[in-house]
Amino acid sequence: MCFSCFSQFRPRYKRLVDDIFPALPQDGLVKSNMEKLTFYAVSSPEKLDRIGEYLYQKASRDITRKRDSYVKIAMEAMDQLLVACHSQTLNLFVESFLRMVQKLLECSEPELQILATQSFVKFANIEEDTPSYHRRYDFFIEKFSSMCHNNSPDLFIRDGIRLAGIKGLQGVIRKTVSDDLVENIWEPVHMDKIIPSLLYNMQNPRYKVDSEEKDPTVLAESCFRELVGRASFGHVKSVIHPVLRHFDLHDLWSSKLFAINCYRLIMFSIQSQYLYTVVESLMIHLDETSKLSSKIRTNIADVLSKIIAIAAGESIGPTVLEIINSLLTHLRTSVTRQSTNNMTDVDEEEKNYQEALISALGEFAAHLPDYQKIEIMMFIMSKIVQSKAVMAFSNIDNRIHLICLKSLLMVCSKYTSIHMTATLPQSFLDPLLRCSRAFDSQIRLLVQNVLHTLFDRHGNGTKFIKPTLEFSLLNFAYEKCSRSDTIFMSKHGPEIYASLCESLEHKNNSIDNVEAVYKTFALLCLELTSEETIGDFFHALINIQDLALTNDSLPHVLKYQLHTIVICLLSLAAYIHSINSLQELVNTIIKTRKEVKALHLLPDLCIHYEVLPEHALPKGVLLDQIQLVECLNHAGIDITSKNFPLVHRHSWVESAPISSLSDVSFLEFSSNSSSPSIERKYPHEDLTFEAMKQVLSENVDKQREQEIVRGVQIFEQYKSLPFTDLMNISNRNEEDTLPYKLGEIFNKLNTDSNLRSPIRYDEQKECYKPKLESLFPECFVY
Amino acid sequence: MEDYKFLFKVVLVGNAGVGKTCLVRRFTQGLFPPGQGATIGVDFMIKTIEIDNEKIKLQIWDTAGQERFRSITQSYYRSAHALILVYDISCQPTFDCLPDWLREIEEYANSKVLRVLVGNKLDREDREIPTEVGEQFAQRHNMYYLETSAKEAENVERLFIQIAAELMEQARCKELPRYEIGSESIDQNATTIKTKPCCNN
Ligand SMILES: Nc1nc2c(ncn2[C@@H]2O[C@H](COP(=O)(O)OP(=O)(O)OP(=O)(O)O)[C@@H](O)[C@H]2O)c(=O)[nH]1
Ligand SMILES: [Mg+2]
Repeated sequence: MCFSCFSQFRPRYKRLVDDIFPALPQDGLVKSNMEKLTFYAVSSPEKLDRIGEYLYQKASRDITRKRDSYVKIAMEAMDQLLVACHSQTLNLFVESFLRMVQKLLECSEPELQILATQSFVKFANIEEDTPSYHRRYDFFIEKFSSMCHNNSPDLFIRDGIRLAGIKGLQGVIRKTVSDDLVENIWEPVHMDKIIPSLLYNMQNPRYKVDSEEKDPTVLAESCFRELVGRASFGHVKSVIHPVLRHFDLHDLWSSKLFAINCYRLIMFSIQSQYLYTVVESLMIHLDETSKLSSKIRTNIADVLSKIIAIAAGESIGPTVLEIINSLLTHLRTSVTRQSTNNMTDVDEEEKNYQEALISALGEFAAHLPDYQKIEIMMFIMSKIVQSKAVMAFSNIDNRIHLICLKSLLMVCSKYTSIHMTATLPQSFLDPLLRCSRAFDSQIRLLVQNVLHTLFDRHGNGTKFIKPTLEFSLLNFAYEKCSRSDTIFMSKHGPEIYASLCESLEHKNNSIDNVEAVYKTFALLCLELTSEETIGDFFHALINIQDLALTNDSLPHVLKYQLHTIVICLLSLAAYIHSINSLQELVNTIIKTRKEVKALHLLPDLCIHYEVLPEHALPKGVLLDQIQLVECLNHAGIDITSKNFPLVHRHSWVESAPISSLSDVSFLEFSSNSSSPSIERKYPHEDLTFEAMKQVLSENVDKQREQEIVRGVQIFEQYKSLPFTDLMNISNRNEEDTLPYKLGEIFNKLNTDSNLRSPIRYDEQKECYKPKLESLFPECFVY
Repeated sequence: MEDYKFLFKVVLVGNAGVGKTCLVRRFTQGLFPPGQGATIGVDFMIKTIEIDNEKIKLQIWDTAGQERFRSITQSYYRSAHALILVYDISCQPTFDCLPDWLREIEEYANSKVLRVLVGNKLDREDREIPTEVGEQFAQRHNMYYLETSAKEAENVERLFIQIAAELMEQARCKELPRYEIGSESIDQNATTIKTKPCCNN
């Protein structure tokens, strides 16, 4: 250095600068002289760059000589000049100002680093007229990020430096965020430093001061929010990607609470049009982490479930189904994975994962308007149908089924059903009922649960968990069945009841299945029966009793359970609709059952009964149809004109396109019309417009019509016989175990999708061909 | 007027506990820190040295070896002029990880970056990696090789001086990767060679 040679010719600006330094460093900046310097700088801005350079030189020398007090004074002077200068001239000065800041940041003294950051923040808050495109902030981002990780054993220093680092980053962000040309802060090379630095400070809060000035955690959080909030299109991913990476590396998914809080923060800070991007990125990340432990995946899915609702409000149209579809895809992948793993502990985790995904689905659906929920329900239903078409009969298929139904149940549980016509349009009801007759008992159970959530509009569900005869204490909440619901029930009631009855025909029905069907019936009775439609309800009960009496393939336990729910439901109907005569009939039956010790025909349902099958049905314990009709007539309810059994027929024919299986139909018929004394009219004889429409709408083919004609003949024939005789005949007619076998096959078919839907049938028959053709060659003459 | 003519960025990488921080501290502060804790994130040190009467400022970024800081540490590779890859000669696993580190360097650093392999803890008696093995590895991967002891201050000075000398040589031949765009950058002296007059005003 050769300063000395110039000392006597020192230019004015140098003298002014020199004068601001006191003789004794502890005296601090010489204020009056600083004013002079400022005045000079403002009036001769062309000298600013030299002033800046000279101050920088002096400070550099003082740093080397460890004269920190002078360094601070130099910095202070620069701060003041920075603020005093007009923005047009600032550019000239900023260069040396920033070099000064950098110089101080390079020092190891914490105090100087903190001081430098403060100056930097002051600079960052100044709005410059003309951005300097050549200015680079790499070093500052690098250094501030490093400071964010300070690990000094002295906590005071550690916090101080970390706070400074965060403030510095905040400054860089503010300075550059509005103009990508200045410095594209969103570049990965910057975001990969900034994001982890902020998150690192957020992830382990040491204390709860709740002050940005003192707590790095709080400051980092607010800085993070600001950054996320400023991200515009194209930048969102630059923020999200490092977040995911940091979460993976620091195993932050495991500290669930933090992960959820952090993601909530993102969701609440991000511009609402990008909410979906966050959700999407998490789902993509689930794909990417598919090789990781399912525990991590579960946690990610959990986070997803906690934030997805926030996105729901902003999601519209296709995005909604996209999200649902993606969740379903993940579920399906998980099911497939599960079946390839075949390890039970893995399965357990995988199950948690699935549950988390389903709850995400539910959370999402819960925050959508009701009409979209119905769309989603139908969408999920369509997925069930598809899944079956792809992988018929397989175990995986069944599991996918179950998982989809669980998802469906979740969505349904978030839906408030008001009018049944809106809740259950034909296109939703049809596949749902089809599933309700599936061979897999778990699937049937889930469908019943779905029906429960849809039917139970007044929260009575819990009162119907177990069949009971005591209703007076249950305090039901219900309204009179509305006109529109009555129309719904007169149109769809028969098919619903028919499916419920049919679902009871499976010999693999567990007590849960029976109780679930009971609950469905009970809810239907409470919510959806009116004087006009109650007849169908009673017919269904008669059908159940008939089923228990005539279907020998059913285990005895199941039969007793069916008898029990019939009496319970009868009693419920009497109670709800205040039909005293019916109540008396019920009471008589109950009394008889008690007297003859037929307790197996009374609630509660049991898994095991002591009674011997041959002593199971003593005289007088059954519901007599004549008496039922009579006592209903007495109450002014006429159930004789209903065509219920026929509809049950329909469902059978329909579910089996192989309609040459006349034996089965025949048997069914006989069992359904086992009370010959009741005058039942066939729709063909009693041609109402409704009945006509129904017949037409159900795509009747010739074979089926013939079938019906045959059925009518049989029906007519048996009409005159007494009940017990009829029973014997029908039993005799159950040649060997054929019906049972057929039933089983049909159940299998039912499990499997769209046999009923004519469009699907074509693709379906390819895969069923081998099996069916070999069994029923005659059906395959197309 | 700057107080240095060259500025080089040196980044140290390698497994946790191989002695990166100790090397840097030995070099910058001349001491062997007792009970050195694991580095968190990235540490920064500066040291100005003189070679051939030229002042050279070394910006040293000492990264954490722990896996969990990988994303932030990697982001520092990009702007490095030199990368010092350190392993512990008394710890086979730290040597076995070298290929992984090279892969990372390949992915994140400039292809022209000067790479130096350092086998540290030379003072230890329980050596597991013979010098030749380290040397061969370095040769195979086109790296400089040096064995050091931060504890005994062996080869530490030499390591950084040689790196600086090499970088200076490269800079003179303009081979050095340039990170700062524009001559007016605040880091202008890092890569551009200017003969500054002693007193320019
Ligand atoms: N014997 C011996 N021990 C050393 C030497 N260098 C470092 N150590 C010891 O090795 C341990 C780790 O040293 P650090 O410098 O913290 O290692 P590091 O590579 O910075 O580790 P991270 O920061 O976690 O990546 C400390 O206990 C040091 O005392 C050396 O040259 N010889
Ligand atoms: Mg270290």
